[in-house]
Amino acid sequence: MTLPSLDLAAVGPILFVSVGSMLVLLGEVLLSRVGSIMSHRVTPSLVGVVLAVTAMVFLGLATLMALQQAGAPATPFFNADNPMFQVDRFSATFSAALGLASLLCCALAIAYLDAMRINHGEYYALVLFSTAGMMLMVGAVDLLAVFLGLELMSIPIYVLAGFDRTRLRSNESAMKYFLIGAFASALLLYGMALLYGVSGSTSFEDIRAAFDPSNPLTLAGVGLVVVGFGFKISSVPFHQWTPDVYEGAPASVTAFMSVTVKLAAFAALIRFLLLAIDPMDELLGNVFWVMALLTLVVGNVMALIQDNVKRLLAYSSIAHAGYLLIGLVPGSAQGYSAVVFYLFCYAFMNLGAFTVLVALTQRGQECERVDSFAGLARSRPGLAALMTLFMLSLAGIPGTAGFIAKWMVFSAAVEAGQLPLAIVGVLMSVVSVYYYLRIPVLMYMSEPGDEAPPQELATGEFVVLALCAFAILYLGIFPNSPDFPLLDWARESIQQLLAA
Amino acid sequence: MVPIDHVIGLSALLFVIGLVGVMTRRNLIVMLMSIELMLNAVNLAFVGFNRLWPQGPSGVGEASLDGQIFVLTVISVAAAEVAVGLGIVISMFRNRDSVNIDDVSLLRW
Repeated sequence: MTLPSLDLAAVGPILFVSVGSMLVLLGEVLLSRVGSIMSHRVTPSLVGVVLAVTAMVFLGLATLMALQQAGAPATPFFNADNPMFQVDRFSATFSAALGLASLLCCALAIAYLDAMRINHGEYYALVLFSTAGMMLMVGAVDLLAVFLGLELMSIPIYVLAGFDRTRLRSNESAMKYFLIGAFASALLLYGMALLYGVSGSTSFEDIRAAFDPSNPLTLAGVGLVVVGFGFKISSVPFHQWTPDVYEGAPASVTAFMSVTVKLAAFAALIRFLLLAIDPMDELLGNVFWVMALLTLVVGNVMALIQDNVKRLLAYSSIAHAGYLLIGLVPGSAQGYSAVVFYLFCYAFMNLGAFTVLVALTQRGQECERVDSFAGLARSRPGLAALMTLFMLSLAGIPGTAGFIAKWMVFSAAVEAGQLPLAIVGVLMSVVSVYYYLRIPVLMYMSEPGDEAPPQELATGEFVVLALCAFAILYLGIFPNSPDFPLLDWARESIQQLLAA
Repeated sequence: MVPIDHVIGLSALLFVIGLVGVMTRRNLIVMLMSIELMLNAVNLAFVGFNRLWPQGPSGVGEASLDGQIFVLTVISVAAAEVAVGLGIVISMFRNRDSVNIDDVSLLRW
């Protein structure tokens, strides 16, 4: 028996991230030891900055490497006959996006962790571990790799949600996320076991070959897998955990999980639908239709009555899961590529909005109430303008990335004959304008309360805000410019998966 | 030899017991145990199905151990998960002196 050759470059992004996470863990121990001897020179905040920069360097390398792979043909990793993991345009594009998003999440956390007095180095190591899991998940072509990636992604986030371990809300958030997450993975696993039972293999290819919609075991298996993913992407009726977990977790962690988990889970779901189920079952299309409708209505209506900004953004992220699900209903290449494009735009606008929340944190007190945005335009004009931009983009106002993303999804639905669903989507985005614009209205039209004096914007936060704002405007005006043809990338990555 | 139906039947039964346990019990430790029960039901299903497909989907050639390897992975991941879960339960017990899920109610609506 000969061992297949090992092409380490293929998993380069994952390797960079994993090595980075171990270095950060080691560095934390070493630097805090040094800090205990030379406490006047090596302060905890300096240690935090060093570790964050280390993490960002490795994430940056991983992102660059993933971008390089984006043009390559699909190559299975390690064992060409029965691969676990495949590098292709789809996985490379998503790895690059995940690497960039995690990098930005590290950058925005530096000052925040200091202000909240939870500046422990493990934070960055956990972010890196989780990112490695996501990168594994988006390239997985075997149920085993999907499961491993999913758990490697989720377990560090359970810890991160409870990172502020003396605060009861953070505890509660971690507890709820852990219980729901473990419950969801058990359901997902049982679905995987049933799919293995009907096909005799865990690889997507063999499952697709044995796929038989008239077999109840197959249907139950696919159903349980979709429910498992439904929890991760927080679609109704599996969404109840989202507002609680997003509210209780530290704001920088909420930023991380609201963006990257959604990206990775949707990517893995799309790959599973395209490679393991063929053709897209009509029944499954109907299931997604119902899920999309419920998610849109519940997410947008519940967001109307929220007074807490983190909760409002949590319901808004549920609503966005609804728009994304619309793209899955037709089962067409156009729909899937619209979802991919939407996910990238969503990453920038949501990250931007949460960064504003992070930047408004004062002396260990998070800016959570909607009222605390009153009169912000006077004390922090720049921040207020950026928040307005992010809210406009989330609402889908023309000129921003959010508009193009929604337009692509709705037009894919209309073209596939799903006009009623597209109409509901448009109506619900009209509803969403109300709660998104509440914040800018408060910032510009009401008097400021008696607040603490404005503080400086930290460098990391400034970089993240500037980049997100630039990306939103750029993608909103040139969604397919020759320098950065994001739409083409989304289309090509789906086309390559469909050709397989 | 035990027929495959019995193995899968037992696994489904265990899974449902776990499912009902998570939904009805209020003690965090018992809920964790119920989740473990669900995972073990999955393991049993994988081992059972592996006997149905001793040589993978093709039915010829070398023995296929996909299901059993999956079980080993699930066991190790479940161990990691439970370590984190118990850590979270302990930090919660320290702050609140209770492991009852009904006391976890700061965040709602």
